[in-house]
Amino acid sequence: MRVGVFICHCGNNIAGTVDVKAVAEAIRKIPGVAYATTYMYTCSEPGQDEIKQAIKDHNLNRIVVAACSPRMHELTFRKTVEKAGLNRYYFEMANIREHISWIGEDKEANTKKAIDVVKMAVAKVMQDRPLYSSSFRINKRVLVIGGGVAGMQAALDCADGGLEVVLVEKSPSIGGMMSRLDKTFPTIDCSICILGPKMVDVAQHDKIKLYAYSEIDEIKGYVGNYQIKIRKKATYVDWTKCTGCGACMEKCPSRNAYDYFNFGVAPTKAINIPFPQAIPKKAKIDPNYCRHFTKGKCGVCAKICPTKAINYEMQDEIVTEEVGAIIVATGYSLLDLEKLPEYGGGRYPDVISGIQYERLLNASGPTAGHILRPSDHIEPKTIVFVSCAGSRDKSIGIPYCSNFCCMYIAKQAILTKDHIPDSQSYVFYMDIRSPGKGYDEFTRRAQEDYGVKYIRGRVSRIYPKGKKMVVKGVDTLLGSQVEIEADLVVLGTAVLSNPDAAHLAEKLHISYDTFGFYVESHPKLRPVETNTSGVFLAGACQGPKDIPASVGQGSAAASKVLALFSKDMLESDPAVAKVDINKCIGCLKCVRTCPFQAIKDKELRDGRIVADVIETVCAGCGVCTSTCPCGAIQLQHFTDNQLLAEVNALCLA
Amino acid sequence: MSVDKLKDAVKQILNEVDIVIGYTEGFDKVHATPLFINTQDKVDQLIWDQRCVHNLASYLPSLKRKKVGVIVKGCDSRTIVQYIQEGLINRENVKIIGLPCSGVISLKKLLKAVDFANIDDITFEDNGNVNVKTEKETKTLSLMDIAPDKCKTCQYPTPLIYDILIGDPIKSDKPKESVYEDIIEFDKKSLEEKLAYWQKVFDRCIRCYACRNACPMCVCQDSCIAESREPHWISQRATLTEKFMFHLIHTVHLAGRCVECGECERACPMGIPVNTLKRKINLEMKELFDYVPGVNPDDKPPMYTFNVDELKIKEHKIG
Repeated sequence: MRVGVFICHCGNNIAGTVDVKAVAEAIRKIPGVAYATTYMYTCSEPGQDEIKQAIKDHNLNRIVVAACSPRMHELTFRKTVEKAGLNRYYFEMANIREHISWIGEDKEANTKKAIDVVKMAVAKVMQDRPLYSSSFRINKRVLVIGGGVAGMQAALDCADGGLEVVLVEKSPSIGGMMSRLDKTFPTIDCSICILGPKMVDVAQHDKIKLYAYSEIDEIKGYVGNYQIKIRKKATYVDWTKCTGCGACMEKCPSRNAYDYFNFGVAPTKAINIPFPQAIPKKAKIDPNYCRHFTKGKCGVCAKICPTKAINYEMQDEIVTEEVGAIIVATGYSLLDLEKLPEYGGGRYPDVISGIQYERLLNASGPTAGHILRPSDHIEPKTIVFVSCAGSRDKSIGIPYCSNFCCMYIAKQAILTKDHIPDSQSYVFYMDIRSPGKGYDEFTRRAQEDYGVKYIRGRVSRIYPKGKKMVVKGVDTLLGSQVEIEADLVVLGTAVLSNPDAAHLAEKLHISYDTFGFYVESHPKLRPVETNTSGVFLAGACQGPKDIPASVGQGSAAASKVLALFSKDMLESDPAVAKVDINKCIGCLKCVRTCPFQAIKDKELRDGRIVADVIETVCAGCGVCTSTCPCGAIQLQHFTDNQLLAEVNALCLA
Repeated sequence: MSVDKLKDAVKQILNEVDIVIGYTEGFDKVHATPLFINTQDKVDQLIWDQRCVHNLASYLPSLKRKKVGVIVKGCDSRTIVQYIQEGLINRENVKIIGLPCSGVISLKKLLKAVDFANIDDITFEDNGNVNVKTEKETKTLSLMDIAPDKCKTCQYPTPLIYDILIGDPIKSDKPKESVYEDIIEFDKKSLEEKLAYWQKVFDRCIRCYACRNACPMCVCQDSCIAESREPHWISQRATLTEKFMFHLIHTVHLAGRCVECGECERACPMGIPVNTLKRKINLEMKELFDYVPGVNPDDKPPMYTFNVDELKIKEHKIG
């Protein structure tokens, strides 16, 4: 065995706090290490050439690079050793940057730790076995989860690129949050006017198969070959017959149903079409309010429906779709007003959220575009906007900025002045965050041209006084207390992840942060990829995002899928679980614990039952290896003995 | 219960199965030994009394492809239930003859009670008295004084699963809380005290693997990690670390699986309380997953499943 070890300076990143020469010296003494050197930037072209040259000159057959995280450059160096004629799995990477040089300042201690870490990598590389990948065919269809603007953009771009798209939307219509907005910043163009045509494109595209009011039940498979079970939720209306005429909605006697589309600004009917531009424009019964379901009698809609589309007996239906890649564009949710008791959220009808105000502004909203406050339907004259209602507040566990509230509050304040010229708007803000193109000019316009009064400071309390709401806060620029008697208060509530984001992440095997936002593969260089190959992200499910950014990500995710599908075959990762059939006792514990259903039982010729790994399905997570009592199932490239060699290198020395 | 009833039952099922496993006289008066009955004439060798300590269900997985009749006590029946849960036997291939039992003897305790004298004869009375005749004296002992610990807190004197029950069912008169009393008491010691205790007792281990071989739930057979080189978790060195490692691996492999039959402890020639660790883990599994091994054939062992959401493990703080 002839191991070559290359220790990277990474400029000053590593060499600044690790004595790389001393590490090389110590490693050179390990039996089996034939060559050890340091290099300024091992990942650079000359750096890689040096590895190739050393393999030739010193007849090396195992390579260790001590540098940055393997997440960064493992693939780079695997390709390098492969080009030099070695198996790509005869390579180990020791992370002495993120794990050592960046986190400690004590050079002596760092150097000692670096020697240990490289020793472990050397021990592991000596145990490594050559592995070979096989290739498999891919299904060039794509699933897009979420029909908001990001999901629609992704679906349209994929479909225009020639791919078949399955688009799943959980609510009765596509359009997402954007379809609820009245106008969009910074151009004040009508939201539905620009979104509507896109929605129609989605509906009419012959490559897009839309499942509205449907959810993902189960995801099986792996990149290239997923089997998706989609639950088509019962609408109690046969959508193949429904023409969207709206007669049922007009005659429905149950008038108190919660209006999800309008965020409860006003009640709706138990059978309804969410909004005039809805796609698909079909009616749906809410069984929580429908008299047929709650009281057992009514049936008005069934009588009135001209196409006899009502079906009270309808059940959820499960359909299976096969795809090769998944784009997740599930969007966001908003902080519940009730979580802000100091602002009277949920207690006072005239304290509403930004999205509710958006519906009050909108011509197809419950007030037909007239701003009327919810309590007494009187036009408000003094309106207070509170930004960061929940956002950037560690005390309620939301330390992050919600990204677009500053901008929509400025927009809403401008629109308010347009609707009610004799009104006065106030905005309480912490900082104005307007870094986009034309954004800062926009917020200035609100202040300078529309007379919106911006008060830098937080609001401490909101309480009623007669018919007014008193907003008590501080003006930190003047250093004084402020009290404003408002007719209506609009809270820029914090953006949250979807309540079921974690569950979907489990199904997709992707990671999410502490707030439930999905984690991208690299925050700068791989913003729409996840660490699960074949699954991509678009829009606010990854973090609060405004429309341009969401659309951009939708297109980016689509381009990633198109690139992935440009090949007919994919290479499988050989670092998967493998069963030693001589050891397997056939208890099949692994079959039951495998989260990917990648293990099946197999009968041998002598009738013995053993476990068998489906290589392409296995994700290499290792649950089975820790489940197997006798160590018969081993994760290739991470076998017990390979890991024990590392532990021994660390502990026995 | 007369042994004749048992013999009749065995004779009857012998027509349906390849083999029936029961107990017979051992090499001396205090030992019983397993009896494999494959012909009618062997049935008469059957015995049934307080010397029948072995867990005969342990043989079932190795006879998976045969039709087998087996005689079980209440505690032994839990093994069968666990086998069914884990898919290690086919229920339809097994005929279970259940025997309600109010306690057996512990040879170790018996020998200690008679000061390790040679025992010439032993008889059992219905009132729980045990008459022991040794080379020196004749002594009357109470069964509960010489019974293994498991009998003193036995919750399942009547088998939980059987095809034929011989004798009347017995209800447990032992409080449920008593089962893990000793574990809870032991747990009150400091970490250092506990470590010192286990180091002391495991130092006695001679790595004969009797505990493993006697364990009905040790299913790895010839692939046991204790002797394997690939993976090479423990070496053959007779150091305390290696012994410790072996016992801890054994314990972890039995997490949520140990049916507490006590065979490991019975088999240990060095008197190491090996079952204590496994019962401790069982207690944890009970608290964490609300699961007791070997009680209900329809249960799913928690370590045999992958659930995204666990009742008592809070992983998702979102939503």
